[in-house]
Amino acid sequence: MNVGLDFARIVEDNQSLVFSLAVRFLRDRDVAAELAQDVFLGLYRQLDRIDSPAHATWWLRRSICHRCIDEARKRKLRPRIGIDSVQEPRAERREPDLMLNERLRKLVEKLPEAARMVVLLRYQEDLDPSEIAEMLNMSISTVKSRLHRSLAFLRGRLEKQEVCR
Amino acid sequence: MSFEDKNFEDQLRRSLRREAAPPDFAATVLARAAASRNVISFWRRPLTLALAAGLSIAALLPPTVAEYRRRQEEQAAEARAQVLTALSITKTQLLRVSAKVQKNTRRTL
Repeated sequence: MNVGLDFARIVEDNQSLVFSLAVRFLRDRDVAAELAQDVFLGLYRQLDRIDSPAHATWWLRRSICHRCIDEARKRKLRPRIGIDSVQEPRAERREPDLMLNERLRKLVEKLPEAARMVVLLRYQEDLDPSEIAEMLNMSISTVKSRLHRSLAFLRGRLEKQEVCR
Repeated sequence: MSFEDKNFEDQLRRSLRREAAPPDFAATVLARAAASRNVISFWRRPLTLALAAGLSIAALLPPTVAEYRRRQEEQAAEARAQVLTALSITKTQLLRVSAKVQKNTRRTL
């Protein structure tokens, strides 16, 4: 075991990253927390192969992405309806900017799995398309295409909601 | 990328800011890690290793002994056959010598 790395510190520094990706992807806080814990335990067992805190963060991010995708497939969380027929979130009377944030989050939740993970890695984790491609074993053009289509979908839905209000 | 696109992406970044993990998250992970460490150390205890080695030897020993005995029996059977062959040849030679001695004795008399 790598004695130079403080596991407690790694957990403290990365818990938000791992949990946020899991909960936004899986849309279930309990399952997300369980899965995030499993990922940290996986890291703990392989701590002797981890060189640095940055390496640990990279490992955790990659691991949670793949675990989430596997979990979603296992639980058949994949949306059974097309992207155009998704139900729009109900508008709530709240402070405008907070409401917009929540509406956007709910729209992101409605994206298909692969597109949702690409969007989360791009806008939550601020990764470049090349980093996302490497992490998800996709080509860069696929990542860019999914980002482009997801943004178009999100903007379109948001504008439609604005018109209806 | 247009200004509107940039604004929209910035808005998306704000919406998707990381959220905090549950308050007991880190403590639970550390407790589970400590529990798993205890499980691992059980398999690394000297007594466990000695027991595993003993069981391995006990599993391997009977076939080795049986094989040794089988080879010994084969060698004994082969030696017995060689002795019988030698005795058979000796008997034949003795009979021939005996016949010659009797023949020569008769001529002398």
